[in-house]
Amino acid sequence: MTSPVAGVLPRLHALRHSNGWLYGTMLLSACLSLTASFVLSVDALRLAADPAADLSCDINSVVSCGTVGSSWQAHLFGFPNAFLGLMCEPVVITIAAAALGGARFPRWFMFAAQVVYTLGLVFAYWLLSQSMYVIGALCPWCLLVTVSTTLVWSTLTHVNIRDGNLFLPRRAQGALRRAVAADLDALAVTIWLLALALLIVLRYGPALFA
Amino acid sequence: MSTEVRSRSRELREARAAAGRRRRRRIHLVATGGGLIIAGLVVAIVIALVNAAGSEPSPAAGPGPAPAIATEGGAIALGRADAPVKLEVYLDYMCPFCGRFETANGAEVARLVEAGTVRLELHPLAFLDRASSGTRYSTRAANAVATVADRAPEKVLAFSAALFAYQPEEGGKGLTDERISELARGAGVPADVVSAFGQRTFEAWAASATQAAFASGVTGTPTVRIDGKAFQGDLYTAGPLTEALTAAAGAKGAK
Repeated sequence: MTSPVAGVLPRLHALRHSNGWLYGTMLLSACLSLTASFVLSVDALRLAADPAADLSCDINSVVSCGTVGSSWQAHLFGFPNAFLGLMCEPVVITIAAAALGGARFPRWFMFAAQVVYTLGLVFAYWLLSQSMYVIGALCPWCLLVTVSTTLVWSTLTHVNIRDGNLFLPRRAQGALRRAVAADLDALAVTIWLLALALLIVLRYGPALFA
Repeated sequence: MSTEVRSRSRELREARAAAGRRRRRRIHLVATGGGLIIAGLVVAIVIALVNAAGSEPSPAAGPGPAPAIATEGGAIALGRADAPVKLEVYLDYMCPFCGRFETANGAEVARLVEAGTVRLELHPLAFLDRASSGTRYSTRAANAVATVADRAPEKVLAFSAALFAYQPEEGGKGLTDERISELARGAGVPADVVSAFGQRTFEAWAASATQAAFASGVTGTPTVRIDGKAFQGDLYTAGPLTEALTAAAGAKGAK
């Protein structure tokens, strides 16, 4: 009575909760985020070196005229925000690669990683909201940072809930672990990213087609 | 004794099984709700995309009347028709770099047009409407400039310079209609011309001129062409453009 389809779902489920998949996707997302941070950092340096460097208002890009890069929000801490990505993503890449190689980190270490990355996530979304609703421009590389930061954060959270690294009360820990085991986290991330896509289409729809 | 223990352990087992069932039902409920939300979001995205794609052609519908001194290519032509050098400038009144271009070169260009050395073809584009919080500043400004070009062409450059001198911040609400009118009066545009801004006569022309500019290969603003060739020098400091224009005029004078 075992149809080929019936075997697929449990296998997918097992794959999604395997260390290889978790740390592999974390590695991939962190690499994407690092690439985007690198591009943005190079842009920021070019902008700083020569404010007139090939700057114009591009007709097709939704980014209006590079003003995202020269706004005060882009230098909240006195240096280009993308530098934060250059500093933090290699740490995530190291954690993911080491874990793929079989290393296991102590609870306090993973907990600290979770706290710092959560701050990074909050910052990424604050920047997104600023660029969407205050500066009125959107930059594709910034959006890639937002999406990949979301993915890294969700994977990290998945791992930390599964391994009980978050120092949560027993009942909360149990409930969260059962939710993750039932793949509700994947559901939540899907909803999250679709909601983000909807916001962007609503805000920039006409411009995307112009 | 053993029956009591057995029945209690059975009660415990049943309670645990019931709790498990309740939990599974709850997870099932959450998953179903989540699935519905996902389906709703996908539908909403598709509708928003279709709307966005459908709303696009409306601003460019129909060419509309063109200003009296407009060229076929969608420009406002200023200066002597037989001037030795043709200068084309594509700009958007919302574009901050166009503002910097104007600050650096506006006065010199006006002087060369006045002197009869340069024929200026000004292309006021309206593609940065998205950057004025829904107030369509680029279109309103382009319409005002086109109205002045139609009825008071000698005031176009002064008005254009005033718009850039008080250029609103990109992403803000743009200048209000009253403020645009005020700047026009300040630049010497007659009152009856200023009062015609509100008729929005040339908005459709601005939209089709913008499309024409895209079609001609313009990819950003400011774009500057001298005798049809893109000017590659520094646009944001005074000097290089004037030199290129004078050189082009000199080369023709020698022939």
